[in-house]
Amino acid sequence: MARADTHLIRQSDMSDSVIELKNVWKIFGSDANAAMDAVLSRNLSKADVLREFSCVVGIADVSFSVEKGEIFCVMGLSGSGKSTMVRHLNRLIEPTAGAITVLGQDILSLNDAELRNVRANRIGMVFQHMALLPHRTVRDNVAFPLQVRGEPKSRRWEVSQRCLDRVNLTGYEDRFPRELSGGMQQRVGLARALASDPDVLLMDEPFSALDPLIRRQLQDQFMALSAELGKTTVFITHDLDEAIRIGNRIAIMNDGRIVQIGTPEEIVTRPTDDYVRDFVEGISKLKLVFAHSIMVPINEYVPARPVNFDESPRAHLGSDLDHLIDIAITTDHVIVITDDAGGDVGIVDRATLLRGIQGGKA
Amino acid sequence: MTMSAADATDSRTGDVRNVRTFAVENADYYEAEFEKIEGRTGFALSWNWAAAILGPVWGTARGAWGFFWIFLILELFALVQVGRGLWGELGADELERYNRIRENVENREAKVAELRAAGDTAGADAGQRIADNLKVAAETALEAATAANASATSILIFGLALFAFVKIAEGFYANYAYEAQYLRWRSGKPEQVGLSRRSVIYGMIGLAAIWPLTLVRFTVADPDAWISRVTGGLFGDSWSIVEFPVGKEYFTVLALRGDAGFDWLAIRFGGAFDGITQGIRWVLDGLEVILIQTPWPVVMFITVVMAYRLAGPRVAIFTAAALAYLAFMGLWELSMITVALIGAGAFLCVLIGIPLGIWFGKSRRAYTFAEPVLDFMQTMPAFVYLIPIIAFFGTGKPPGVLATLIFAMPPVVRLTALGMRGVPETTKEAALAFGCTKRQLLFNVELPLALPSIMTGINQTILMALSMVVIASLIGAEGLGALILESLQYAAKGQGLLGGLAILFCAMVIDRIAQGVYRKKSGNV
Repeated sequence: MARADTHLIRQSDMSDSVIELKNVWKIFGSDANAAMDAVLSRNLSKADVLREFSCVVGIADVSFSVEKGEIFCVMGLSGSGKSTMVRHLNRLIEPTAGAITVLGQDILSLNDAELRNVRANRIGMVFQHMALLPHRTVRDNVAFPLQVRGEPKSRRWEVSQRCLDRVNLTGYEDRFPRELSGGMQQRVGLARALASDPDVLLMDEPFSALDPLIRRQLQDQFMALSAELGKTTVFITHDLDEAIRIGNRIAIMNDGRIVQIGTPEEIVTRPTDDYVRDFVEGISKLKLVFAHSIMVPINEYVPARPVNFDESPRAHLGSDLDHLIDIAITTDHVIVITDDAGGDVGIVDRATLLRGIQGGKA
Repeated sequence: MTMSAADATDSRTGDVRNVRTFAVENADYYEAEFEKIEGRTGFALSWNWAAAILGPVWGTARGAWGFFWIFLILELFALVQVGRGLWGELGADELERYNRIRENVENREAKVAELRAAGDTAGADAGQRIADNLKVAAETALEAATAANASATSILIFGLALFAFVKIAEGFYANYAYEAQYLRWRSGKPEQVGLSRRSVIYGMIGLAAIWPLTLVRFTVADPDAWISRVTGGLFGDSWSIVEFPVGKEYFTVLALRGDAGFDWLAIRFGGAFDGITQGIRWVLDGLEVILIQTPWPVVMFITVVMAYRLAGPRVAIFTAAALAYLAFMGLWELSMITVALIGAGAFLCVLIGIPLGIWFGKSRRAYTFAEPVLDFMQTMPAFVYLIPIIAFFGTGKPPGVLATLIFAMPPVVRLTALGMRGVPETTKEAALAFGCTKRQLLFNVELPLALPSIMTGINQTILMALSMVVIASLIGAEGLGALILESLQYAAKGQGLLGGLAILFCAMVIDRIAQGVYRKKSGNV
């Protein structure tokens, strides 16, 4: 409920964007620049580029912006370019074309030292395969970003302790990564990313290698942390359920392109093409579809028989289907939807509700 | 036959790949035979007349080149036996000897007759005795010649039997080989389809190049003369198939050039070579002062304590025993000289080898160039590079260390490079994502992760340095190596054994302590 509202507020305030990508392309191969020119001038397809230049298009014409404090999920199957894309944000990979701004800085114009500085202080990253240093204790792994920055030991250990407490790993400071389970190792990875207190968190499929139960636990833990710390996060995943659970907004990638960006509700209720539709087919809509998207406006509502709205139960615009069903089974009346001020704005009757559950369409 | 499960359709071209499209000629026959082979788990009797009669030629026609080469050689071997049995002048050598001796006897007997005529009875008797002895030798040679000629029949029979056996093997094996070829072709490998005239021609060229010359070589007593006779001197008289018709002329010229080259280098870069010698001498002197000038109880005490602290009590006991052996055998000073020599060698190997290994680990291209050099350093017999080392650096300990360096450096270089390449990309990427500099990446991530491999390299380098001790003593490096070299020269077995044990103990002490250090460091004591 709250999510939909905050999003409405954010969309109106675009000046607050922390990350901004404009027409970013990445073409892999020795002839990438020639291929890029050809793509722009002749509008070649991915297959054409591979045939003509033996180059692979990693990401194609990606543009989006992420606002401060937002969790922006990027979802796509393996090979869709999502991991490649996220590596552009801290320039682990150089784009072939396009502009990338992070925290107001043009990332592409930074020299080596400036780039290292941004990486060490402002952008934290969590990796799918943890990538912990096996020869260091958990404490020293978490402290690694601070060591890179040249902080003294006492400060390193203090911060490291705080971060480990935060991910509930108190007491494991002096273990080695190999002594920890996968879920715990990834929590170390998260603590390490938080250690430098970055403004931006990049999470590259952090929970994909974990079993479902642990994954859920970590998602909950991450969301709690995120609510507390309010870090701007780009979260890569191949799991739409995860994206919907975690993301304020979701971008769906296919073949290097972003095919749709929107809130979980928008993605689920209004998929732009068959690719996205295939994905959202199996997703339960109960928690994702809200009254405002299925209701019939009150002045357009044509009742089958005369009704008195006074006896109807009331529900807020932001109520989800789950909540509306709960109300509907207790009454025979239609449900009246109210706005923030309490005024009646729409009607949900049984038919509308059932349609909503079925397809999320009004 | 309709499409069966064994048919494959190429997804790119849409061609149907089955036995029929593979064999083309005689497809019915091969379809039936392959079915027989594929239907049995064990050996299926499948006889191919064409292959049995034509042998290697069948292989060429069907593009079964493996079959061609195997049976080309087997048939050739059988034919050589047959040829030797039929025309091989097997007793020729012995017969020639017999004739030579007979001639000698005749000469001597003529001389005896002369002496007798001259009245020298004693001289004649002596001459007659020699002639009689020679006659016996001649008879022996004649017998050997006859026996050799007699064995011709058995060789002929053996050859014929072998030939028959090879033919049978060809007949039974052909379809198996061809079926395997079919399976390769079906999975998209480029294999010949059907019969090919071009392949037959290539095969014939191969046969013509191999069979006649080889048969002549093995069946005719003097092949060169025979060829010269048959061809009517077409290739001249000196042309030989027995030996490569070149003397030592190229070799001599190049060897002389090489000598001149080395001499020139020795003079031109004398200063640089002297500098290197000096550098090695410094390291050596430093180590020798520590190991030899320090009183022996101190060295022993420190070594044992070091072993205890670094590698535990068991290694300490072993170290004490080994040192006691060296001391009681009176080999203490020689051992310390040896250890200094090895220590200097190993130290320089590590000092130069690890940075090189890091470089080769990071740069694929550099490693491509370095690999053959490293192979060369390890496989070239030590004596070969001892010669230029003497030319450039003279004799004594520093050149000995240098020879050790050449032989013992490759493992540490290779294993460092291997370790560097084994560092997971994801780990390096993570470190970079946290803002590491190249230097921080190297020292905090790459080297620690490559350490196990590097330590193995250092260990191997030390052991290989030890194995060079005796060879280094050849160019004047003193120590236990010289002791063993001496026992080799005087066949002093006991001395050699005791010296060898001393080297072994030195090696084991160093190795155990080094491994102990590593184990402790990696935390799995």
